[in-house]
Amino acid sequence: MIDPKRLFFLFLILCGAGVVLAALLPRRANRVVLAWIGSLSSLTILWVGGAVLLSGQAWQVDLWNIWSLGPMVLKMDRLSALFVFIAGLVFLPVSIFSASYMNLPKYVKRYGFKSFGIYYHLLLAAIVLLLVAGDMLSFLLAWEAMSIFSYLLVNYEHEKEDTTKAGYLMLSLGEAGTIAVVLAFFLLARTATGLDFPALRAAAAGMGQASAWAIFLLSFFGFGVKAGLVPTNIWLPLAHPAAPSNVSAILSGVILNLGLYGIVRFNADLLPVKDIGAGAIVLIVGSISALVGILYAVIRNDMKEMLAHSSIENIGIITAGLGAGFIFRIAGLPALAGIAFIAAFYHLLNHSLYKALLFLGAGAVDYSAGERNMDRLGGLIRVMPWTSLFFLVGALSIAALPPFNGFVSEWLTLQTMLRSVELSSMGIKIIFALCAAALALTAALAVTCFVKAFAMSFLGLARSPKASKAVEVNRSMQAPMAILALCCLLFGILPTYVIPVLDNTIATFTHEHMVDELVPPFFTAPQGNARFPQEFVSEFHDLGAQVGRTFLPGQGLVVMHRGTEHNPVVYAMSTSYTFVVLILLMGGSLILFRVLTRSRKVDRGPVWAGGVRQLLPKMTYTATGFSNPVRVIFEAVFRPVIFDEMRETVAEHFLIAVKSQRQEVYILERTMFSPLARLGRWLAALLGKIHSGSVNLYAAYILISLGIVLIIQRLM
Amino acid sequence: MWEWVWEGIRSGIVTTAYPAREETASGVSPGFPTDLPRTFAAAGEASVAASCCPTEALLSEDQQVVLREPRCIHCYRCLRQTETPLAWQWQGNYEWAVSPHPRVELAKKFGRSFRRSLHLRILDAGACGACLSEIEQLNKPYYNMHRLGFFVTPTPRDADVLVVAGPMTEHMRQPLLSAYEAMPTPKAVLALGACAIFGGVFGTSFASMGGVASLIPVDILVPGCPPPPLAILHALLALIGRVEPAACELNSSSPGGERGD
Ligand code: SF4
Ligand code: SF4
Repeated sequence: MIDPKRLFFLFLILCGAGVVLAALLPRRANRVVLAWIGSLSSLTILWVGGAVLLSGQAWQVDLWNIWSLGPMVLKMDRLSALFVFIAGLVFLPVSIFSASYMNLPKYVKRYGFKSFGIYYHLLLAAIVLLLVAGDMLSFLLAWEAMSIFSYLLVNYEHEKEDTTKAGYLMLSLGEAGTIAVVLAFFLLARTATGLDFPALRAAAAGMGQASAWAIFLLSFFGFGVKAGLVPTNIWLPLAHPAAPSNVSAILSGVILNLGLYGIVRFNADLLPVKDIGAGAIVLIVGSISALVGILYAVIRNDMKEMLAHSSIENIGIITAGLGAGFIFRIAGLPALAGIAFIAAFYHLLNHSLYKALLFLGAGAVDYSAGERNMDRLGGLIRVMPWTSLFFLVGALSIAALPPFNGFVSEWLTLQTMLRSVELSSMGIKIIFALCAAALALTAALAVTCFVKAFAMSFLGLARSPKASKAVEVNRSMQAPMAILALCCLLFGILPTYVIPVLDNTIATFTHEHMVDELVPPFFTAPQGNARFPQEFVSEFHDLGAQVGRTFLPGQGLVVMHRGTEHNPVVYAMSTSYTFVVLILLMGGSLILFRVLTRSRKVDRGPVWAGGVRQLLPKMTYTATGFSNPVRVIFEAVFRPVIFDEMRETVAEHFLIAVKSQRQEVYILERTMFSPLARLGRWLAALLGKIHSGSVNLYAAYILISLGIVLIIQRLM
Repeated sequence: MWEWVWEGIRSGIVTTAYPAREETASGVSPGFPTDLPRTFAAAGEASVAASCCPTEALLSEDQQVVLREPRCIHCYRCLRQTETPLAWQWQGNYEWAVSPHPRVELAKKFGRSFRRSLHLRILDAGACGACLSEIEQLNKPYYNMHRLGFFVTPTPRDADVLVVAGPMTEHMRQPLLSAYEAMPTPKAVLALGACAIFGGVFGTSFASMGGVASLIPVDILVPGCPPPPLAILHALLALIGRVEPAACELNSSSPGGERGD
């Protein structure tokens, strides 16, 4: 067994080597080196993270002792390890994918590959360092580095105006968030003896009500910007279409998680929220993000913009889960809190996997068709069968259909919401009910969204010459998608093996193990124990819950929450058994069908297209058409701006041409940022009046302000 | 809304008893001339008498005038003409759908499984609209074809019977052929009305092909212009072998035959 600490330094060395090689090597070799070094370093952190996750042995490295600020510490506990592991899971396929993807002529011709390679490795190192940072100083340093390198990667096509704008918005909002985080840290560190996390944790224990609230609000806002929560996520739908697809995969699969890591580290570990109101805020913000995210995801036709909005949705679901966890914890229901945290972390893991997969799929489509607008795609399943298959797996996962991973976590989250009946406060119950309704609507819309995404891009007829000329991407781009698709399936059908690991992870801050609450020991305690008596187990034995006991490891294959005597099973399901049954059913019916129709002749006719002489691609359903019902139903949210342009004959009796254009401005931009920007401009114009440019006037200003200061000084 | 319920209860079941019992209400059928052929003293007289018919349903053979039912459009001209009175009766029957195949063959085509579930795709091949409105009646409570297991479907992929109305215009040729091709076997074609049988009042021209049979094989023909709903029901029932199709010499009516040949 290799020491994870050593491996971690190997990882840092690899990243360093990546940077040096990217700077020195000629262009041709550069991409291959990126793929190799990127995947090797991802494998290293996967190993490091996995070892800590499974063994639970946290390691710590003390770096330098900085005068008056205390030591700089790197520490990996299970919480960090989980996020590091997820980062590795995303970075590994993305590194392999990048090698071919960055070959795109639009990148090769105009932008060097050097800068990409350098920033890529630096970003990877910064992200991992941020996750293992054990004190405030290294945390903030790594945070800044991560912000800057991610900005540089998003801004890769820096000659495009849209890209620079999006990048600048991302950077500026991110920095605003950072300021809030720094302030929160300062408030926390005011009474602390040092800047390392244990010292901060000790200082937080004696924190007053008001400062606790201030710290919560500041940190939630600050990290919320990175995570993409309302109301500060307007950068996200702009940054994603601007960034190259592999960077988008990292942005959604890893960087958004860092915001959530910050929220968890701060509000669950360092200074656990004590006020039920704070939990409610997290829950509400999460649910609103989810709903707003999915609404815009349904109506957007740019594949990557759609995925960006869907990231907002998923982060919202995770945050709602965290909020539910906070509330249950404060209300003294540790079991439910544990389940809520497990659901949230499970969803976080799943979201990283399928969103990275979908972004790589979108990248592959962009790579070979040169088009991301779903209105102009279509029919790709015939030319890109593998990419279509992987994208379909991603779409099924994100739409939360069994047996894929999205189902398990979304099901757990919704079940958690329903357990709010055990709370005592009526107000909180109402909030829970509304949020659960919002999440249920979100889940339904997500299905619509991804039916559209898959059907409009991959099925039907090619609606543009570009789409009809697409060809399948090469193996080195298929393999990463295959890895992620396989993970989506595995994490979907093996929840009972994932949940214990997540349970150990959340125990780092809840200090309680809840695994028996979710995964009853049908395999390990076949005769029953105190909590699972003999009759209970035998009842489930008859249902088949113990199938596989003799040859499978682990606790069991059923996810179940056990209630009181009065209500023995609150909810239960097993995707593992479902999967087996599904395979048997589908295979069985296929065989049955074959046998029954063996002696029949198969007649193949042409496609029925309503009897038109020739079915033209422009006659077929488009993405805009598919999502129009949603657009109409939620008109009040979208508030579209419609431009009508008409041309009439000379005497204006007849219309010759009517052109109607519809634009939906993102709700947050419309309701928050545009007014803020207008206010800022108005203030600037007001202040501009006092700037005449004459030196004498400025001297007078200085004199007047000096006078005012002196007067105030005198009065006080 | 309550008024509907009340009205429904008050009026009771109004659906026709056909095919269990004969429908005797007045006006359910426009009818055909009967008591033919009629013999005249001279061949010339016969041809004058026959010439009154606008669609050449009447044919003079020597001194006789015979009726070709599929071409009749119940216009009553033959009944009203006084110079060479034909002096015959009018019959109000409606079971007049004819088929080129005998009943056993029809019954074999679909077999037992379709007897209570037959899906129709209606295709308007240039009909004047009256035929279509008669089909519409079938969906309404009085005729209610669902009770007999007939359903209308929008896609030929699910259809067993292609119901064609209209004189088969040139414009609808391609759609008809592709709809027919899109239907799964076993499939049948029902020619609805005088138009679909031979071109009807429109006949054959540069724009009309005069009947469906010129493009695809027809399994059952429903004369009439328009055929009453009960005649269509009879045709559908005959198509799956539940009743006997009417006896009639088809060759003399020559489906697809041209007007003025
Ligand atoms: S009713 Fe009219 S169409 Fe029918 S046979 Fe007489 S004249 Fe001809
Ligand atoms: S058969 Fe008569 S009613 Fe039917 S479409 Fe032709 S003209 Fe109209």
